[in-house]
Amino acid sequence: MSWHPSIPAAEVREKGAVAVEADGLRLALFALEGEIFATANICTHAFALLTEGHVEGGCVECPLHQGLFDIRTGKAQGAPVTKDLATYAVKVEDGTVWIDTEPRAGAEAEAPAFAGAGQGPDPRRVVILGGGQAGAEAARALRAEGFAGPVTLVGAEAHAPYERPPLSKDLLLGRTTLAEAEVFEPGEAERLGTVLRLGLRATAIDRAARQVALEDGTALGYDILILATGAEARRLALPGAETVTLHSLRDAGDAQRLGPALRAASRVAVIGGGFIGLEIASAARALGRDVAVIEAQDRLLKRLLPEGPAELLAWVAGENGVALHLGAAVAGVSPEGVALADGRLVAADCIVIGAGAVPGDALGRAAGLETATAGGILVNARGATSDPAIYAIGDVAVARDEISGAETRMESWQNARASALRAACAIAGTPLPAPETPWFWSDLFGGTLQIAGLPAPDLPTVRRDGDAPAFYCLDAASRVTACIEFGDPELLRLGRRLIASGQPVDPARLADPDTDLSLIEEDDMKMLPIEKRFTWPASGLDRVPDWVYTSREIYDREIERIFHGPTWNYVGLAAEVPEPGDYIRTNVGPTPVVMVRDHDGGINVVENRCSHRAAEFCRELRGNAEEFVCPYHQWSYDLKGNLSGVPFRRGVNGEGGMGPDFDPANHGVRKLKVTQRNGAVFASFSEEVESFEDYMGAEMLADFDTVFPGRKLRVLGHYRHTLMGNWKLYPENLKDPYHATLLHTFLVTFGLLVAGNKSAMIVDPRGRHSTMASAKSDGATVSAENKAEMRAYRDGMVLEDPRLMEFVEEFDSPWSVTMQVVWPGLIVQREMNTLGVRQIVPNGPNEFTMVWTMFGYEDDDEEMTRHRLRQGNLMGPAGFLGLEDNEAIKFVQDGMLNSTGGEHLVALDPKVPAGTSNTLISEAAIRAMYRHWRQEMGL
Amino acid sequence: MSMMTGERAAADTRAARREARLAIEEFNAEYCAVLDDGDLMDWPDFFTAEAFYNITSRENFDHGRPVGLVYCEGRAMLRDRALAIAKTSMFGPRYLRHYMANTRVTGIEPGGTICATVNYILIETLAELPEGRLHQAGRMIDRFEPQPGGGLLLSSRIAVYDTLLVPNALVLPV
Repeated sequence: MSWHPSIPAAEVREKGAVAVEADGLRLALFALEGEIFATANICTHAFALLTEGHVEGGCVECPLHQGLFDIRTGKAQGAPVTKDLATYAVKVEDGTVWIDTEPRAGAEAEAPAFAGAGQGPDPRRVVILGGGQAGAEAARALRAEGFAGPVTLVGAEAHAPYERPPLSKDLLLGRTTLAEAEVFEPGEAERLGTVLRLGLRATAIDRAARQVALEDGTALGYDILILATGAEARRLALPGAETVTLHSLRDAGDAQRLGPALRAASRVAVIGGGFIGLEIASAARALGRDVAVIEAQDRLLKRLLPEGPAELLAWVAGENGVALHLGAAVAGVSPEGVALADGRLVAADCIVIGAGAVPGDALGRAAGLETATAGGILVNARGATSDPAIYAIGDVAVARDEISGAETRMESWQNARASALRAACAIAGTPLPAPETPWFWSDLFGGTLQIAGLPAPDLPTVRRDGDAPAFYCLDAASRVTACIEFGDPELLRLGRRLIASGQPVDPARLADPDTDLSLIEEDDMKMLPIEKRFTWPASGLDRVPDWVYTSREIYDREIERIFHGPTWNYVGLAAEVPEPGDYIRTNVGPTPVVMVRDHDGGINVVENRCSHRAAEFCRELRGNAEEFVCPYHQWSYDLKGNLSGVPFRRGVNGEGGMGPDFDPANHGVRKLKVTQRNGAVFASFSEEVESFEDYMGAEMLADFDTVFPGRKLRVLGHYRHTLMGNWKLYPENLKDPYHATLLHTFLVTFGLLVAGNKSAMIVDPRGRHSTMASAKSDGATVSAENKAEMRAYRDGMVLEDPRLMEFVEEFDSPWSVTMQVVWPGLIVQREMNTLGVRQIVPNGPNEFTMVWTMFGYEDDDEEMTRHRLRQGNLMGPAGFLGLEDNEAIKFVQDGMLNSTGGEHLVALDPKVPAGTSNTLISEAAIRAMYRHWRQEMGL
Repeated sequence: MSMMTGERAAADTRAARREARLAIEEFNAEYCAVLDDGDLMDWPDFFTAEAFYNITSRENFDHGRPVGLVYCEGRAMLRDRALAIAKTSMFGPRYLRHYMANTRVTGIEPGGTICATVNYILIETLAELPEGRLHQAGRMIDRFEPQPGGGLLLSSRIAVYDTLLVPNALVLPV
């Protein structure tokens, strides 16, 4: 027995879990239902404090690897923890918790906790709101993808889930029944273990409580919610509406009303010339009724289809006896029919509105989910909404492209299925299928119109007449983006192949019915374009494919589009070339350049490549020169890069030499655009690049200016090393706050970054630049708990010479450490008082060189300079932190080099799709970087 | 037995330099053995309490630029370096082998301090690079202090490497 007092019991009960020290032990006190328990506070698996973990059900989950321990017994509850936690006897006297620091015997002696923990049922409850095709397909796909948890489907309609296409087609004609349109086979819902709650409306979503309120007054809890609330028929407010029955067609009830009405009518007027209106017209004609279609636009399907196919449809409708009223506004309705704004009356005894559908997003909107401007719930590629616990699928979902920002809502049978499958894969954790080419069909007047791809009214369109006409929409590069056929499905199949291939086609040949479309491919498709060969994982930015890091072709495109594109690339410090003629050899991306100060005092950056035979003429790392002379043929250049001398330009004795048209002014070395910011020099191959200040943005510029405040710099020296990884892994490393305390044990051990430090991961709005920042607590303000943390967690681990960790306040900044990425290739380091820049020089996809320039300020005294040098031990190729990053980057590249088709997972913090996050346990900054990268790369 | 341990000023003679060279070669053999095969925590014991230790590129050294890959003032910082590498650093498994040759004694100061240089190479062998590779080639610029027991301790060691580009990382001292 060895009893030690600790803290007031009330504090434990209030906080639930408190870290304490007693008798030199680091212990955890937990309050469970008022009772207090003590255990060791360090996880038996890896170093982490359990009091920072999550307590639930009498167990504590380690924050590091989610090992679970029973608090009362200390028993390990399964992988990854195998060793039980020590527990200690506790008593409360006079309100203070006393702990017996001799551990209780027994816990470890008992049988090991491993009970062959296999895959149990998934504890997550999925609730699907919406009993349409998408909802039912989701229930089915969840099981197909292996999801084993409870699934409940809530549908407002009393009928079992059914597919909608027959509603406007055969069902209207009485050729099929609703039962035949049901999604589930008989007994399938039971086999799937899906609880169907039909005829029940959901009234609200409580996202905080993860509950859906139902109209019967009960609530349904969920862990994951799928919104499949579909769309509703668009209502039109028409004068006289109260005098007639206005039909619309969206659900089974509508169809059951409309079918008999069509049969009873003699003249039918359809308001709206879209697909639904045309299908109703088609059905009405099949019943032998007189039919008129009234369309406000001057042609059919004006928002969806190009003119060609729309006119064909109008012609087909006319041939089938439909009276089309185009460009006709409706003034009102009456028992006589539809009055048009021009005074005409379209006589009808049955009026149907087919004016499209609006997404049924009310529940999601009320719950505060992000919605699209045109309505509908915004989702990412996996179908997740702005709340990672809620998905949306089918007609209600609007997919927002992560790269272009384009918003797409699709009402189609195919999309209901595909979006349900995507969400199910995301929930079950299985790989997402590659996106399908969109496909849509409509049964009209005895034929079938099919659309593959995404047509648009303004795209150039090629008509091809064969047995039946087909239309191909082309993009600006003459590539097929959509195919519309009416009667020859073979043309649709070939059209799909052309869409998939992404090859430009000759419009004349495409139009010629004698051209064999399969031969167009064979003739022209020597090489798939890059964006067809390198496709991003279907899941979106939370995955990064290996080819981003390993492909030579991608690397070459990066040089062209990024390093030689409209970016500012760090090349050196003005302090490195103080005098006229001073130069250094440096690089823009991989490309060698020379930075040189001329006699006017300006700094020039020129390509280190002789305009004669490409020789890299400047060979010294640094020096001073009056001119540059290429060693090969003695061509000479002045300090601005102008060609000043060509030996034997005019030949010898009138023989040889350059021709009369040779003008040296046209043959200088390539000069780059140059800018300076407080002593840092940047160059760009692009003339169009914005100003450096605009390039950085105000927030990033402020962090930059903290290190470069305009004080004169003193260069302390360089490190150069090669890293065996793709260059992007380096900026990623500094956009990855997750790794900091996990990889860099040194930081935690010696208190540089500990729990309770203020820190941030800030990303510029375009996602390219970033600052990882943290504030070192000084001794005076560190809490006792954090002091305990800062002390070595292994005995004897204290710095003998603490000067390494001293922080001399010298900046007007809340941060003691900022690591800033200036896209693409610069890192500005302010690690307390050790300052430096790191320049990335890529060297192929699998390797890059890093050039570090360490500096202080010219007015530093001797001791400050030495302090910066001492603190430099943290960074660089042998730095306590630096070397670990180098090794980690190499390990990542090694992991990719000899495998194929792999991808990285960067899914932490899904609430922030990309950008600045409030938590360090986030990969949102990496996602933001790849959003920008993909925009720049066109991939 | 050593002329350098008495009160008298040490003489900078040919014989003294030869004797010093032998002592330095012996010292460096032990030094390398500790780094290659021994306990890193023993490495700081080759230095005096106030010793200066720096690893820097020839580029920096020739231009009077003071940074070091490793920059230690005093044995306490050397111990911190050894401790941090041994206990906290993450790096892939490897063998390192140090070779020192061409020892030159460049002077013996009146106080007994021996100034010397020695060339060194460091060979690094990684599991995935079993053939090994040259990691550093350079020279040490050293100051040795003779000790009462007859041994030497380094009061300054500046490792100046010619191999400008460090392959990935330098995990152990040279």
